[in-house]
Amino acid sequence: MINIDIHLPRKNFNVVVQEKFSEGITGIFGPSGSGKTSLLQCISGLARPKEGYISVGGRILFDSVKNINIPVSERNVGYVFQEGRLFPHMSVEKNLRYGIKKQAIGKISYEEVIDLLGLRHILKSKPHQISGGERQRTALGRTLLSSPDILLLDEPFSAVDMSLRSQILPFIIRIQKLIQIPMLVVSHDIPDLLKLTNRLCIIKNGSCIGHGEYYDLLKDPSVSNIFGSGSIVNSIDMRVLHTNPQSRLTIVGWKQDGQEILITCDKSKGDYKEGQKLKIFIDADDIALSTEKTNNISIQNQVYGTVTDIIPKGATLLVVIDAGFKLVVEITLDSLSRMGIGTGSKIWCLFKSVAIDVAG
Amino acid sequence: MTDFLGFNSTELQAIVLSLKVAVYCSLISLPMALWLGYKMARYNFTGKSIIESMIHLPLVMPPVTTGYLLLLVLGSKGFIGHWLQSAFGLKISFTFYAAVIASVFVSFPLIVRSVRTAMEMVDTGLEDASRILGAGRIRTFARVTVPLALPGIISGTILAFARSLGEFGATITFAGNIEGETQTLPLAIYAYMQVPGKESATLRLVIVSIVISFIAMTLSEWFIKRIRHDKH
Repeated sequence: MINIDIHLPRKNFNVVVQEKFSEGITGIFGPSGSGKTSLLQCISGLARPKEGYISVGGRILFDSVKNINIPVSERNVGYVFQEGRLFPHMSVEKNLRYGIKKQAIGKISYEEVIDLLGLRHILKSKPHQISGGERQRTALGRTLLSSPDILLLDEPFSAVDMSLRSQILPFIIRIQKLIQIPMLVVSHDIPDLLKLTNRLCIIKNGSCIGHGEYYDLLKDPSVSNIFGSGSIVNSIDMRVLHTNPQSRLTIVGWKQDGQEILITCDKSKGDYKEGQKLKIFIDADDIALSTEKTNNISIQNQVYGTVTDIIPKGATLLVVIDAGFKLVVEITLDSLSRMGIGTGSKIWCLFKSVAIDVAG
Repeated sequence: MTDFLGFNSTELQAIVLSLKVAVYCSLISLPMALWLGYKMARYNFTGKSIIESMIHLPLVMPPVTTGYLLLLVLGSKGFIGHWLQSAFGLKISFTFYAAVIASVFVSFPLIVRSVRTAMEMVDTGLEDASRILGAGRIRTFARVTVPLALPGIISGTILAFARSLGEFGATITFAGNIEGETQTLPLAIYAYMQVPGKESATLRLVIVSIVISFIAMTLSEWFIKRIRHDKH
Protein backbone atom coordinates (compact mmCIF):
# COMPACT_ATOMS: atom_id res chain seq x y z
CA MET A 1 0.00 0.00 0.00
CA ILE A 2 1.30 3.38 -1.02
CA ASN A 3 -0.07 6.40 0.75
CA ILE A 4 0.50 9.79 -0.82
CA ASP A 5 -0.65 13.21 0.27
CA ILE A 6 1.57 15.84 -1.24
CA HIS A 7 1.69 19.47 -2.25
CA LEU A 8 4.43 20.46 -4.66
CA PRO A 9 4.45 23.88 -6.33
CA ARG A 10 5.54 23.79 -9.97
CA LYS A 11 6.01 26.61 -12.45
CA ASN A 12 2.54 26.66 -14.00
CA PHE A 13 0.51 24.76 -11.44
CA ASN A 14 0.63 22.97 -8.11
CA VAL A 15 0.92 19.22 -7.91
CA VAL A 16 -1.62 18.28 -5.26
CA VAL A 17 -2.18 14.55 -4.99
CA GLN A 18 -3.88 12.73 -2.18
CA GLU A 19 -4.23 9.08 -3.10
CA LYS A 20 -3.77 5.56 -1.84
CA PHE A 21 -2.39 3.00 -4.26
CA SER A 22 -2.93 -0.68 -3.62
CA GLU A 23 -0.77 -3.65 -4.66
CA GLY A 24 -0.49 -4.58 -8.32
CA ILE A 25 -0.13 -2.24 -11.25
CA THR A 26 -1.67 1.22 -11.31
CA GLY A 27 -1.47 3.26 -14.49
CA ILE A 28 -0.87 6.98 -14.05
CA PHE A 29 -2.40 8.64 -17.06
CA GLY A 30 -2.59 12.26 -18.12
CA PRO A 31 -1.54 14.68 -20.83
CA SER A 32 2.11 15.72 -21.12
CA GLY A 33 3.15 18.22 -18.48
CA SER A 34 0.30 17.37 -16.14
CA GLY A 35 2.56 16.47 -13.22
CA LYS A 36 2.82 12.68 -13.63
CA THR A 37 6.59 12.64 -13.54
CA SER A 38 6.62 15.10 -10.62
CA LEU A 39 4.59 12.58 -8.67
CA LEU A 40 7.19 9.85 -9.30
CA GLN A 41 9.98 12.28 -8.41
CA CYS A 42 8.35 13.00 -5.06
CA ILE A 43 8.04 9.30 -4.25
CA SER A 44 11.66 8.64 -5.21
CA GLY A 45 12.92 11.70 -3.35
CA LEU A 46 14.28 13.52 -6.41
CA ALA A 47 11.75 16.27 -5.75
CA ARG A 48 10.77 17.43 -2.32
CA PRO A 49 7.11 18.31 -1.73
CA LYS A 50 6.48 21.59 0.06
CA GLU A 51 4.35 19.70 2.50
CA GLY A 52 2.76 16.32 2.83
CA TYR A 53 3.24 12.70 3.54
CA ILE A 54 4.49 9.67 1.59
CA SER A 55 4.64 6.09 2.82
CA VAL A 56 5.25 2.80 1.07
CA GLY A 57 4.14 -0.41 2.75
CA GLY A 58 3.87 1.33 6.12
CA ARG A 59 7.37 2.82 5.91
CA ILE A 60 7.34 6.61 6.03
CA LEU A 61 9.52 8.14 3.31
CA PHE A 62 8.47 11.72 3.78
CA ASP A 63 6.51 13.57 6.41
CA SER A 64 6.71 17.33 6.55
CA VAL A 65 5.02 17.48 9.98
CA LYS A 66 7.38 15.00 11.64
CA ASN A 67 10.25 16.41 9.56
CA ILE A 68 11.10 13.06 7.98
CA ASN A 69 12.78 13.02 4.58
CA ILE A 70 14.55 9.73 3.85
CA PRO A 71 17.49 10.30 1.45
CA VAL A 72 17.04 9.10 -2.13
CA SER A 73 19.61 6.32 -1.72
CA GLU A 74 17.81 4.83 1.28
CA ARG A 75 14.23 4.92 0.02
CA ASN A 76 14.29 1.52 -1.68
CA VAL A 77 12.28 2.87 -4.55
CA GLY A 78 12.83 1.41 -8.01
CA TYR A 79 12.63 4.04 -10.73
CA VAL A 80 12.95 3.11 -14.40
CA PHE A 81 13.53 6.31 -16.32
CA GLN A 82 12.10 7.10 -19.71
CA GLU A 83 15.56 7.24 -21.28
CA GLY A 84 16.90 4.26 -19.34
CA ARG A 85 19.84 6.20 -17.93
CA LEU A 86 22.31 3.34 -18.17
CA PHE A 87 25.83 4.20 -17.07
CA PRO A 88 27.66 4.63 -20.40
CA HIS A 89 31.08 3.67 -18.99
CA MET A 90 29.91 0.32 -17.64
CA SER A 91 29.04 -2.93 -19.39
CA VAL A 92 25.49 -4.26 -19.23
CA GLU A 93 26.62 -6.68 -16.52
CA LYS A 94 28.11 -3.91 -14.37
CA ASN A 95 25.01 -1.81 -14.87
CA LEU A 96 22.85 -4.71 -13.72
CA ARG A 97 24.99 -5.36 -10.65
CA TYR A 98 25.25 -1.69 -9.67
CA GLY A 99 22.33 -1.67 -7.25
CA ILE A 100 22.62 -5.18 -5.81
CA LYS A 101 22.69 -4.82 -2.06
CA LYS A 102 25.06 -7.04 -0.12
CA GLN A 103 22.88 -7.79 2.88
CA ALA A 104 19.43 -7.87 1.37
CA ILE A 105 18.08 -11.08 -0.10
CA GLY A 106 16.43 -9.94 -3.30
CA LYS A 107 13.09 -11.22 -4.47
CA ILE A 108 14.75 -12.09 -7.73
CA SER A 109 18.27 -13.29 -8.42
CA TYR A 110 20.77 -11.97 -10.94
CA GLU A 111 20.50 -15.16 -13.00
CA GLU A 112 16.69 -15.00 -13.01
CA VAL A 113 16.74 -11.40 -14.19
CA ILE A 114 19.05 -11.98 -17.14
CA ASP A 115 17.02 -15.00 -18.25
CA LEU A 116 13.67 -13.31 -17.74
CA LEU A 117 14.70 -10.21 -19.67
CA GLY A 118 16.81 -12.02 -22.27
CA LEU A 119 20.04 -10.18 -21.52
CA ARG A 120 22.53 -13.04 -21.42
CA HIS A 121 23.99 -12.41 -24.88
CA ILE A 122 24.75 -8.72 -24.24
CA LEU A 123 26.26 -8.85 -20.74
CA LYS A 124 29.70 -7.75 -21.95
CA SER A 125 28.41 -5.03 -24.26
CA LYS A 126 28.38 -1.33 -23.51
CA PRO A 127 25.02 0.50 -23.53
CA HIS A 128 25.73 2.23 -26.86
CA GLN A 129 26.34 -1.13 -28.55
CA ILE A 130 22.89 -2.57 -27.81
CA SER A 131 19.46 -1.84 -29.24
CA GLY A 132 16.91 0.50 -27.73
CA GLY A 133 14.77 -2.38 -26.52
CA GLU A 134 17.75 -4.07 -24.90
CA ARG A 135 18.67 -0.84 -23.18
CA GLN A 136 15.16 -0.55 -21.79
CA ARG A 137 15.27 -4.14 -20.52
CA THR A 138 18.70 -3.59 -18.97
CA ALA A 139 17.38 -0.53 -17.14
CA LEU A 140 14.42 -2.55 -15.91
CA GLY A 141 16.66 -5.42 -14.80
CA ARG A 142 19.06 -3.07 -13.01
CA THR A 143 16.17 -1.59 -11.05
CA LEU A 144 14.71 -5.01 -10.17
CA LEU A 145 18.08 -6.16 -8.82
CA SER A 146 18.19 -3.26 -6.38
CA SER A 147 15.29 -5.10 -4.63
CA PRO A 148 12.91 -2.14 -4.46
CA ASP A 149 9.72 -2.04 -2.37
CA ILE A 150 7.89 -0.30 -5.19
CA LEU A 151 8.52 0.03 -8.91
CA LEU A 152 8.01 3.32 -10.74
CA LEU A 153 8.04 3.19 -14.54
CA ASP A 154 8.18 6.50 -16.37
CA GLU A 155 6.79 6.32 -19.91
CA PRO A 156 8.02 2.78 -20.64
CA PHE A 157 6.27 2.80 -24.03
CA SER A 158 7.64 6.05 -25.34
CA ALA A 159 10.54 4.68 -27.36
CA VAL A 160 11.09 6.73 -30.50
CA ASP A 161 10.97 3.61 -32.64
CA MET A 162 7.32 2.58 -33.00
CA SER A 163 8.21 -1.10 -33.32
CA LEU A 164 9.85 -0.91 -29.90
CA ARG A 165 6.97 0.71 -28.15
CA SER A 166 5.13 -2.30 -26.90
CA GLN A 167 8.15 -4.59 -26.79
CA ILE A 168 8.66 -4.01 -23.09
CA LEU A 169 5.05 -4.85 -22.26
CA PRO A 170 5.26 -8.66 -21.90
CA PHE A 171 8.34 -8.25 -19.70
CA ILE A 172 6.53 -5.94 -17.31
CA ILE A 173 3.63 -8.40 -17.12
CA ARG A 174 6.03 -11.29 -16.41
CA ILE A 175 7.78 -9.31 -13.70
CA GLN A 176 4.51 -8.46 -12.01
CA LYS A 177 3.61 -12.16 -12.01
CA LEU A 178 6.97 -13.14 -10.56
CA ILE A 179 7.51 -10.52 -7.87
CA GLN A 180 4.41 -8.99 -6.45
CA ILE A 181 5.46 -5.44 -5.70
CA PRO A 182 3.28 -2.41 -6.33
CA MET A 183 3.99 -0.70 -9.64
CA LEU A 184 3.10 2.79 -10.80
CA VAL A 185 3.34 3.11 -14.56
CA VAL A 186 3.24 6.61 -16.00
CA SER A 187 2.12 6.93 -19.60
CA HIS A 188 0.18 9.18 -21.90
CA ASP A 189 -0.65 6.25 -24.11
CA ILE A 190 -3.97 4.74 -23.06
CA PRO A 191 -3.99 1.59 -25.24
CA ASP A 192 -0.55 0.52 -23.99
CA LEU A 193 -1.40 1.34 -20.40
CA LEU A 194 -4.63 -0.66 -20.58
CA LYS A 195 -2.68 -3.68 -21.73
CA LEU A 196 -0.96 -3.60 -18.35
CA THR A 197 -3.76 -2.71 -16.03
CA ASN A 198 -7.37 -1.59 -15.79
CA ARG A 199 -6.67 0.41 -12.65
CA LEU A 200 -5.89 3.98 -13.55
CA CYS A 201 -5.18 7.22 -11.80
CA ILE A 202 -5.89 10.21 -14.01
CA ILE A 203 -3.78 13.33 -13.47
CA LYS A 204 -4.68 16.70 -14.92
CA ASN A 205 -3.00 20.02 -14.09
CA GLY A 206 -1.30 18.44 -11.10
CA SER A 207 -4.42 16.97 -9.52
CA CYS A 208 -5.88 13.50 -9.55
CA ILE A 209 -9.31 13.76 -11.18
CA GLY A 210 -10.15 10.07 -11.18
CA HIS A 211 -8.80 6.88 -9.70
CA GLY A 212 -10.25 3.44 -10.11
CA GLU A 213 -11.33 0.85 -12.63
CA TYR A 214 -11.12 2.01 -16.20
CA TYR A 215 -14.71 0.94 -16.90
CA ASP A 216 -15.96 3.10 -14.06
CA LEU A 217 -13.80 6.05 -15.07
CA LEU A 218 -15.32 5.99 -18.56
CA LYS A 219 -18.68 6.97 -17.07
CA ASP A 220 -17.31 10.29 -15.84
CA PRO A 221 -17.36 12.64 -18.86
CA SER A 222 -14.67 14.95 -17.46
CA VAL A 223 -12.36 11.96 -17.18
CA SER A 224 -13.28 10.18 -20.40
CA ASN A 225 -12.66 13.43 -22.31
CA ILE A 226 -9.01 13.12 -21.36
CA PHE A 227 -8.86 9.64 -22.89
CA GLY A 228 -9.46 11.46 -26.16
CA SER A 229 -10.42 9.87 -29.42
CA GLY A 230 -7.85 7.10 -29.15
CA SER A 231 -9.04 3.55 -29.49
CA ILE A 232 -10.22 1.73 -26.42
CA VAL A 233 -8.66 -1.60 -25.65
CA ASN A 234 -10.22 -4.40 -23.67
CA SER A 235 -7.56 -6.11 -21.60
CA ILE A 236 -8.71 -9.37 -20.05
CA ASP A 237 -6.91 -11.88 -17.84
CA MET A 238 -7.39 -15.40 -19.18
CA ARG A 239 -6.04 -18.89 -18.73
CA VAL A 240 -5.12 -21.27 -21.56
CA LEU A 241 -7.58 -24.17 -21.65
CA HIS A 242 -6.34 -26.13 -24.67
CA THR A 243 -3.90 -25.64 -27.47
CA ASN A 244 -4.18 -27.06 -30.92
CA PRO A 245 -0.88 -26.95 -32.81
CA GLN A 246 -2.44 -28.14 -36.11
CA SER A 247 -4.93 -25.32 -36.50
CA ARG A 248 -2.69 -22.89 -34.64
CA LEU A 249 -5.64 -21.97 -32.46
CA THR A 250 -5.33 -21.65 -28.75
CA ILE A 251 -8.40 -21.76 -26.61
CA VAL A 252 -8.42 -19.57 -23.58
CA GLY A 253 -11.22 -19.15 -21.14
CA TRP A 254 -12.26 -18.13 -17.72
CA LYS A 255 -13.46 -20.26 -14.94
CA GLN A 256 -16.92 -19.04 -13.95
CA ASP A 257 -19.18 -20.13 -16.74
CA GLY A 258 -17.05 -22.26 -19.00
CA GLN A 259 -17.34 -20.00 -22.03
CA GLU A 260 -14.40 -20.28 -24.37
CA ILE A 261 -12.56 -17.79 -26.51
CA LEU A 262 -10.51 -18.93 -29.48
CA ILE A 263 -7.42 -17.02 -30.40
CA THR A 264 -5.08 -17.64 -33.25
CA CYS A 265 -1.68 -18.35 -31.92
CA ASP A 266 1.13 -17.72 -34.34
CA LYS A 267 4.52 -19.04 -33.40
CA SER A 268 5.59 -15.40 -33.21
CA LYS A 269 3.21 -14.88 -30.33
CA GLY A 270 4.87 -17.65 -28.39
CA ASP A 271 4.01 -21.20 -27.44
CA TYR A 272 1.38 -21.35 -24.79
CA LYS A 273 0.99 -24.19 -22.37
CA GLU A 274 -2.25 -25.38 -20.90
CA GLY A 275 -3.03 -23.69 -17.62
CA GLN A 276 -0.84 -20.69 -18.39
CA LYS A 277 -2.17 -17.28 -17.43
CA LEU A 278 -2.14 -14.58 -20.07
CA LYS A 279 -3.70 -11.31 -21.04
CA ILE A 280 -5.71 -10.88 -24.20
CA PHE A 281 -6.40 -7.54 -25.87
CA ILE A 282 -9.32 -6.68 -28.13
CA ASP A 283 -10.03 -3.23 -29.50
CA ALA A 284 -13.51 -1.95 -28.60
CA ASP A 285 -14.24 -1.23 -32.27
CA ASP A 286 -13.29 -4.78 -33.31
CA ILE A 287 -16.28 -6.23 -31.48
CA ALA A 288 -19.74 -6.52 -33.02
CA LEU A 289 -23.00 -7.00 -31.14
CA SER A 290 -25.82 -9.34 -31.99
CA THR A 291 -29.09 -10.04 -30.24
CA GLU A 292 -28.87 -13.73 -31.10
CA LYS A 293 -26.19 -16.33 -31.66
CA THR A 294 -25.14 -16.44 -35.29
CA ASN A 295 -24.15 -19.80 -36.77
CA ASN A 296 -23.33 -19.13 -40.41
CA ILE A 297 -20.48 -16.75 -39.85
CA SER A 298 -16.70 -16.96 -39.92
CA ILE A 299 -16.35 -15.17 -36.60
CA GLN A 300 -15.29 -17.81 -34.08
CA ASN A 301 -15.85 -15.97 -30.82
CA GLN A 302 -19.37 -15.36 -29.64
CA VAL A 303 -19.64 -14.39 -26.02
CA TYR A 304 -22.90 -13.95 -24.16
CA GLY A 305 -23.38 -11.18 -21.60
CA THR A 306 -25.50 -8.45 -20.09
CA VAL A 307 -25.27 -4.74 -20.89
CA THR A 308 -24.40 -2.84 -17.71
CA ASP A 309 -23.74 0.67 -19.00
CA ILE A 310 -24.07 2.76 -22.12
CA ILE A 311 -21.66 5.71 -22.23
CA PRO A 312 -21.59 8.37 -24.94
CA LYS A 313 -18.16 8.98 -26.45
CA GLY A 314 -18.11 11.71 -29.04
CA ALA A 315 -20.14 10.58 -32.04
CA THR A 316 -20.25 6.96 -30.86
CA LEU A 317 -21.34 5.00 -27.84
CA LEU A 318 -19.51 2.68 -25.53
CA VAL A 319 -21.50 -0.32 -24.43
CA VAL A 320 -20.15 -2.00 -21.31
CA ILE A 321 -21.03 -5.67 -21.13
CA ASP A 322 -20.64 -8.06 -18.26
CA ALA A 323 -19.81 -11.48 -19.68
CA GLY A 324 -18.09 -12.82 -16.59
CA PHE A 325 -15.48 -10.19 -17.36
CA LYS A 326 -16.03 -6.64 -18.53
CA LEU A 327 -16.04 -5.90 -22.22
CA VAL A 328 -16.35 -2.47 -23.83
CA VAL A 329 -17.82 -2.33 -27.32
CA GLU A 330 -17.89 0.77 -29.45
CA ILE A 331 -20.97 1.15 -31.67
CA THR A 332 -22.85 3.99 -33.31
CA LEU A 333 -25.95 5.61 -31.91
CA ASP A 334 -27.79 4.41 -34.99
CA SER A 335 -26.94 0.76 -34.29
CA LEU A 336 -28.08 1.13 -30.71
CA SER A 337 -31.49 2.48 -31.54
CA ARG A 338 -31.93 0.00 -34.44
CA MET A 339 -31.20 -2.98 -32.20
CA GLY A 340 -33.06 -1.61 -29.22
CA ILE A 341 -30.24 -2.26 -26.78
CA GLY A 342 -30.54 -0.86 -23.27
CA THR A 343 -29.10 -1.46 -19.85
CA GLY A 344 -29.90 -5.02 -18.81
CA SER A 345 -30.22 -6.32 -22.39
CA LYS A 346 -28.83 -9.79 -23.02
CA ILE A 347 -26.49 -9.70 -25.95
CA TRP A 348 -23.90 -11.63 -27.97
CA CYS A 349 -20.48 -10.10 -28.54
CA LEU A 350 -18.82 -11.23 -31.75
CA PHE A 351 -15.13 -10.89 -32.46
CA LYS A 352 -12.70 -12.62 -34.75
CA SER A 353 -9.95 -14.76 -33.32
CA VAL A 354 -7.39 -12.84 -35.41
CA ALA A 355 -8.43 -9.56 -33.82
CA ILE A 356 -7.06 -10.70 -30.47
CA ASP A 357 -3.59 -9.80 -29.33
CA VAL A 358 -1.88 -11.71 -26.54
CA ALA A 359 0.82 -11.08 -23.95
CA GLY A 360 2.03 -12.92 -20.91
CA MET B 1 75.75 11.34 -9.24
CA THR B 2 78.02 13.58 -11.27
CA ASP B 3 78.09 13.28 -15.01
CA PHE B 4 75.07 11.02 -15.44
CA LEU B 5 74.27 11.20 -19.16
CA GLY B 6 76.59 14.19 -19.29
CA PHE B 7 74.58 16.18 -16.71
CA ASN B 8 76.40 17.57 -13.73
CA SER B 9 74.92 17.41 -10.23
CA THR B 10 73.42 20.91 -10.37
CA GLU B 11 71.59 20.08 -13.56
CA LEU B 12 70.39 16.68 -12.30
CA GLN B 13 69.19 18.27 -9.07
CA ALA B 14 67.23 20.84 -11.04
CA ILE B 15 65.61 18.14 -13.20
CA VAL B 16 64.69 15.91 -10.24
CA LEU B 17 63.48 18.89 -8.21
CA SER B 18 61.30 20.13 -11.05
CA LEU B 19 59.65 16.73 -11.42
CA LYS B 20 59.20 16.48 -7.65
CA VAL B 21 57.59 19.91 -7.41
CA ALA B 22 55.33 19.15 -10.37
CA VAL B 23 54.26 15.77 -8.95
CA TYR B 24 53.60 17.21 -5.47
CA CYS B 25 51.74 20.11 -7.00
CA SER B 26 49.49 17.80 -9.06
CA LEU B 27 48.86 15.48 -6.11
CA ILE B 28 47.89 18.36 -3.85
CA SER B 29 45.79 20.18 -6.46
CA LEU B 30 43.85 17.14 -7.68
CA PRO B 31 41.74 16.32 -4.59
CA MET B 32 41.05 20.01 -3.95
CA ALA B 33 40.11 20.53 -7.60
CA LEU B 34 37.81 17.46 -7.55
CA TRP B 35 35.99 18.76 -4.51
CA LEU B 36 35.81 22.39 -5.59
CA GLY B 37 35.10 21.55 -9.23
CA TYR B 38 32.17 19.37 -8.15
CA LYS B 39 30.77 22.05 -5.81
CA MET B 40 31.08 24.68 -8.54
CA ALA B 41 29.50 22.44 -11.16
CA ARG B 42 26.57 21.21 -9.08
CA TYR B 43 25.68 23.84 -6.49
CA ASN B 44 24.83 27.48 -6.30
CA PHE B 45 25.87 29.10 -3.08
CA THR B 46 26.40 32.63 -1.85
CA GLY B 47 29.87 33.92 -2.63
CA LYS B 48 30.28 31.47 -5.52
CA SER B 49 31.35 34.18 -7.96
CA ILE B 50 33.80 35.66 -5.44
CA ILE B 51 35.42 32.26 -4.88
CA GLU B 52 35.51 31.79 -8.62
CA SER B 53 37.29 35.12 -9.17
CA MET B 54 39.76 34.37 -6.40
CA ILE B 55 40.64 30.98 -7.87
CA HIS B 56 41.13 32.49 -11.30
CA LEU B 57 43.12 35.50 -10.13
CA PRO B 58 46.56 33.82 -10.43
CA LEU B 59 45.70 33.03 -14.06
CA VAL B 60 45.51 36.70 -15.02
CA MET B 61 47.94 38.23 -12.51
CA PRO B 62 51.66 38.32 -13.32
CA PRO B 63 53.19 35.31 -11.50
CA VAL B 64 55.62 37.65 -9.76
CA THR B 65 52.63 39.33 -8.11
CA THR B 66 51.32 35.98 -6.93
CA GLY B 67 54.75 35.19 -5.51
CA TYR B 68 54.91 38.56 -3.80
CA LEU B 69 51.46 38.09 -2.22
CA LEU B 70 52.47 34.65 -1.01
CA LEU B 71 55.58 36.16 0.50
CA LEU B 72 53.46 38.81 2.24
CA VAL B 73 51.25 36.16 3.81
CA LEU B 74 53.51 33.15 4.27
CA GLY B 75 56.94 34.80 4.47
CA SER B 76 58.72 34.87 7.83
CA LYS B 77 57.32 38.37 8.42
CA GLY B 78 53.89 37.59 6.96
CA PHE B 79 51.04 37.07 9.41
CA ILE B 80 50.63 33.33 8.81
CA GLY B 81 54.32 32.71 8.11
CA HIS B 82 55.38 34.50 11.28
CA TRP B 83 52.91 32.51 13.37
CA LEU B 84 53.98 29.20 11.81
CA GLN B 85 57.59 30.00 12.56
CA SER B 86 57.07 31.11 16.15
CA ALA B 87 54.55 28.39 17.04
CA PHE B 88 56.01 25.39 15.18
CA GLY B 89 59.42 26.57 14.02
CA LEU B 90 58.22 26.04 10.50
CA LYS B 91 59.83 28.12 7.78
CA ILE B 92 58.05 28.15 4.45
CA SER B 93 59.44 30.91 2.26
CA PHE B 94 62.62 30.07 0.36
CA THR B 95 62.21 26.33 0.91
CA PHE B 96 61.06 23.39 -1.19
CA TYR B 97 57.53 23.83 0.26
CA ALA B 98 57.45 27.37 -1.06
CA ALA B 99 58.24 26.12 -4.57
CA VAL B 100 55.35 23.61 -4.30
CA ILE B 101 52.93 26.19 -2.86
CA ALA B 102 53.79 28.71 -5.57
CA SER B 103 53.15 26.05 -8.22
CA VAL B 104 49.85 25.03 -6.65
CA PHE B 105 48.53 28.60 -6.64
CA VAL B 106 49.54 29.27 -10.20
CA SER B 107 48.29 25.98 -11.68
CA PHE B 108 45.12 25.58 -9.57
CA PRO B 109 42.86 27.68 -11.86
CA LEU B 110 43.76 25.45 -14.79
CA ILE B 111 42.90 22.18 -13.09
CA VAL B 112 39.73 23.49 -11.42
CA ARG B 113 38.47 24.85 -14.74
CA SER B 114 39.02 21.57 -16.52
CA VAL B 115 37.50 19.46 -13.73
CA ARG B 116 34.53 21.74 -13.40
CA THR B 117 33.79 21.79 -17.13
CA ALA B 118 34.13 18.00 -17.30
CA MET B 119 31.75 17.55 -14.37
CA GLU B 120 29.24 19.96 -15.83
CA MET B 121 29.15 17.71 -18.89
CA VAL B 122 28.21 14.68 -16.77
CA ASP B 123 24.44 14.11 -16.96
CA THR B 124 23.00 14.72 -13.49
CA GLY B 125 20.30 12.23 -14.43
CA LEU B 126 22.91 9.48 -14.20
CA GLU B 127 23.83 10.64 -10.71
CA ASP B 128 20.13 10.56 -9.76
CA ALA B 129 19.86 7.05 -11.19
CA SER B 130 22.83 5.97 -9.10
CA ARG B 131 21.35 7.35 -5.90
CA ILE B 132 17.99 5.74 -6.56
CA LEU B 133 19.82 2.43 -6.98
CA GLY B 134 21.01 2.86 -3.40
CA ALA B 135 24.43 4.47 -3.84
CA GLY B 136 25.09 7.37 -1.48
CA ARG B 137 26.59 10.67 -2.59
CA ILE B 138 30.20 9.59 -2.12
CA ARG B 139 29.76 6.29 -3.97
CA THR B 140 27.90 8.08 -6.75
CA PHE B 141 30.73 10.61 -7.00
CA ALA B 142 33.39 7.89 -7.14
CA ARG B 143 31.62 5.46 -9.47
CA VAL B 144 29.65 7.74 -11.79
CA THR B 145 30.76 11.37 -11.71
CA VAL B 146 34.54 10.91 -11.59
CA PRO B 147 34.75 8.09 -14.19
CA LEU B 148 32.57 10.03 -16.62
CA ALA B 149 34.56 13.23 -16.08
CA LEU B 150 37.88 11.38 -16.22
CA PRO B 151 39.18 12.73 -19.56
CA GLY B 152 38.74 16.29 -18.27
CA ILE B 153 40.24 15.41 -14.90
CA ILE B 154 43.31 13.85 -16.50
CA SER B 155 43.88 16.69 -18.92
CA GLY B 156 43.45 19.18 -16.07
CA THR B 157 46.00 17.33 -13.97
CA ILE B 158 48.48 17.21 -16.85
CA LEU B 159 47.89 20.91 -17.46
CA ALA B 160 48.67 21.63 -13.79
CA PHE B 161 51.74 19.40 -13.99
CA ALA B 162 53.00 21.19 -17.10
CA ARG B 163 52.23 24.64 -15.68
CA SER B 164 54.16 23.69 -12.56
CA LEU B 165 57.14 22.56 -14.65
CA GLY B 166 57.20 25.93 -16.35
CA GLU B 167 56.61 28.02 -13.23
CA PHE B 168 59.16 30.80 -12.88
CA GLY B 169 57.98 34.15 -11.57
CA ALA B 170 56.12 33.12 -8.43
CA THR B 171 58.75 30.54 -7.56
CA ILE B 172 61.73 32.90 -7.81
CA THR B 173 59.89 35.53 -5.75
CA PHE B 174 58.54 33.26 -3.02
CA ALA B 175 61.01 30.35 -3.02
CA GLY B 176 64.14 31.96 -4.36
CA ASN B 177 66.73 30.32 -6.59
CA ILE B 178 68.53 28.00 -4.15
CA GLU B 179 70.48 25.21 -5.79
CA GLY B 180 69.21 21.78 -4.74
CA GLU B 181 66.29 23.22 -2.78
CA THR B 182 64.24 25.56 -4.92
CA GLN B 183 66.14 25.76 -8.19
CA THR B 184 63.80 24.08 -10.66
CA LEU B 185 64.52 23.68 -14.38
CA PRO B 186 63.37 27.13 -15.53
CA LEU B 187 65.33 28.76 -12.70
CA ALA B 188 68.43 26.71 -13.54
CA ILE B 189 68.11 27.65 -17.22
CA TYR B 190 67.79 31.31 -16.21
CA ALA B 191 70.81 31.03 -13.90
CA TYR B 192 72.93 29.35 -16.62
CA MET B 193 72.02 32.04 -19.10
CA GLN B 194 73.56 34.62 -16.83
CA VAL B 195 76.94 32.82 -16.91
CA PRO B 196 79.17 33.10 -20.02
CA GLY B 197 80.35 29.75 -21.45
CA LYS B 198 77.25 27.82 -20.27
CA GLU B 199 75.47 27.97 -23.64
CA SER B 200 75.57 24.22 -24.31
CA ALA B 201 74.49 23.42 -20.73
CA THR B 202 71.56 25.84 -21.13
CA LEU B 203 70.54 24.15 -24.37
CA ARG B 204 70.72 20.71 -22.72
CA LEU B 205 68.33 21.79 -19.98
CA VAL B 206 66.01 23.42 -22.52
CA ILE B 207 65.86 20.12 -24.43
CA VAL B 208 65.18 18.20 -21.20
CA SER B 209 62.27 20.47 -20.32
CA ILE B 210 60.85 20.10 -23.84
CA VAL B 211 61.14 16.28 -23.60
CA ILE B 212 59.41 16.14 -20.19
CA SER B 213 56.55 18.35 -21.38
CA PHE B 214 56.20 16.31 -24.56
CA ILE B 215 56.04 13.00 -22.65
CA ALA B 216 53.45 14.41 -20.24
CA MET B 217 51.24 15.62 -23.06
CA THR B 218 51.55 12.37 -25.03
CA LEU B 219 50.72 10.29 -21.97
CA SER B 220 47.62 12.33 -21.25
CA GLU B 221 46.45 12.10 -24.88
CA TRP B 222 46.96 8.34 -24.77
CA PHE B 223 45.04 8.01 -21.50
CA ILE B 224 42.14 10.09 -22.73
CA LYS B 225 41.96 8.17 -25.98
CA ARG B 226 41.91 4.90 -24.05
CA ILE B 227 39.07 6.07 -21.82
CA ARG B 228 37.03 7.30 -24.79
CA HIS B 229 37.59 3.97 -26.55
CA ASP B 230 36.39 2.24 -23.44
CA LYS B 231 33.25 4.32 -23.39
CA HIS B 232 32.34 4.20 -27.06
